[in-house]
Amino acid sequence: MPQSKALAFALVAPALLFLAATLGWPLVQAVQLSLQDVRVIGAPGNFVGLDNYERVLANPAFWSAARLSLVWVVANAVLQTALALAVALVLNEKFPGVRIARTWVILTWIVPTVVVVVIWRWLFSTSGGMINPLLIQAGIVERPVGFFATPWTALATLVFINSWRWFPFIALMMLAGLTRIPDELYEAARIDGASPWQRFRRITWPLLAPTLGVLAVIGTLLSFNVFDIIWLLTSGGPAGGSRTLPVLIYETAFKGYRLSEAATISVLATLMLMAFAIVATRALDRSDDR
Amino acid sequence: MNRSLGLNAALVACIAFFVTLVGLPFWWVVSGSIKIPQEIIARTPTMFPQSFTLQHYQKLFDASAYPVYLVNSLIVAASSTVLTLLLAIPAAYAFFRLVFPARGVLYRTILLAYAFPSIVVLIPLFGLFAKVGLVDRLPALIIVNVAFALPFSIWMLRSFLAGVPKEIEEAAVMDGAPTLTILRRIMIPLIAPGIASVGIYAFVTAWTEYVFASVLILSDAKRTLPVGFSGIIGQYQIDWGLLLAGATVAIVPVVAIFALIGRGFVSGLTEGAVK
Repeated sequence: MPQSKALAFALVAPALLFLAATLGWPLVQAVQLSLQDVRVIGAPGNFVGLDNYERVLANPAFWSAARLSLVWVVANAVLQTALALAVALVLNEKFPGVRIARTWVILTWIVPTVVVVVIWRWLFSTSGGMINPLLIQAGIVERPVGFFATPWTALATLVFINSWRWFPFIALMMLAGLTRIPDELYEAARIDGASPWQRFRRITWPLLAPTLGVLAVIGTLLSFNVFDIIWLLTSGGPAGGSRTLPVLIYETAFKGYRLSEAATISVLATLMLMAFAIVATRALDRSDDR
Repeated sequence: MNRSLGLNAALVACIAFFVTLVGLPFWWVVSGSIKIPQEIIARTPTMFPQSFTLQHYQKLFDASAYPVYLVNSLIVAASSTVLTLLLAIPAAYAFFRLVFPARGVLYRTILLAYAFPSIVVLIPLFGLFAKVGLVDRLPALIIVNVAFALPFSIWMLRSFLAGVPKEIEEAAVMDGAPTLTILRRIMIPLIAPGIASVGIYAFVTAWTEYVFASVLILSDAKRTLPVGFSGIIGQYQIDWGLLLAGATVAIVPVVAIFALIGRGFVSGLTEGAVK
């Protein structure tokens, strides 16, 4: 086609330059900052080489945050994907009101995170919250549970809240994949007498797998980055029980006034995520080729 | 479609479960916001309000600049949406319909932008904005939100553009239409559902953003809804009635917008599939 390459570049240039200025350049600055000893924004710093990296890598707080981030990402991926897949399968059926359901399932994702936080803080609270009385009525617990009182329950509750916010979004992306599976395949399977489970196992699952793969990568990146829900609900506590890497970065920079150290943790976190993204997209490409 | 009785029962059970999971919390919040304080913290919670009061709303609008936050949020979200679309549509068109050198590399670079923790750029961006005098100004938030929404938006447009038959474009080229005219007159109308989806995605991203808005904005009059709302949380002893009223007011605008165009978002997503 006789289209000029210059025009193509002109079309992508604004987006590229914008991202370079807003994400690329700050990333370079973060790397620079990690090699200095700046404590607060705007203060001058001296070049200290890899000192910060040595200190961070020797700091148990970094490793425990990294471990928590891993737990956080995996737990969210499992819960989100399970809920999302169930919703997507339901919404792919025909039933009265399915259009309304398809639109409004997304409700949890369109309200501000801060609102999500308040909703669940209230529902889980020991005074006036709805969850505790329900659990007591159902005979599951005897007295109100302090969901945010112990590290383990706090983390589990946070995972639930975050997944609650994101599963409908993921579900709609899955639904997009589901609607592309031709109806004829299911018709043929039904004529051959395949059970619902066999239809799922032999048609839905293999055809949906690539979409699930892409969404698993996106979901992982999304949930790794989650900061506001954790910060507003537990501030990383209790006893550091929910201090994931983004929380640690924020704390180090804005509470501990160790800007360079925070930048160092950021750079290390970025390297981990990039490594994951590259490996994951390679794996997806390979499964595409099969 | 004919389903067996067992499958139908399972479907109904699933629907009931998810309606409860998504709907009930919202019902509790909205209905709670009109209960009197004693009823809100009652030992046995009520499913339907037994009392009615607007005192929490009164307090909300008296004690905080809520309408100001609301307007700020709308300005930021709407501007971010427009800017995201202006940047994403031409870029996506070039990436997925035109051929040029280094296309693959550039596209992958954009996707990688999606893969690093946003908190990483918070510190350097603050410094950058301070230098150019953008701290405590709404444009700073617009820039940040566009940066976060853009990579995913370009990626989202891919499947929509892929769905437009090559012949339509070729016919236009034969007729001597310039590339930009093709983009404006043919592509954009054809991928309108996709544009709606991306627009909503960008709007929601900006509408819900909290961290950057809390760090980059210093004065109360420039606060967005999430930050203003979190201010109410800290400002008082936990006053659940006030918080529930605030939550309700924060939910209503997006719900109203979504009621108007939400269907486009979902059908847009499901018609242009993920790949």
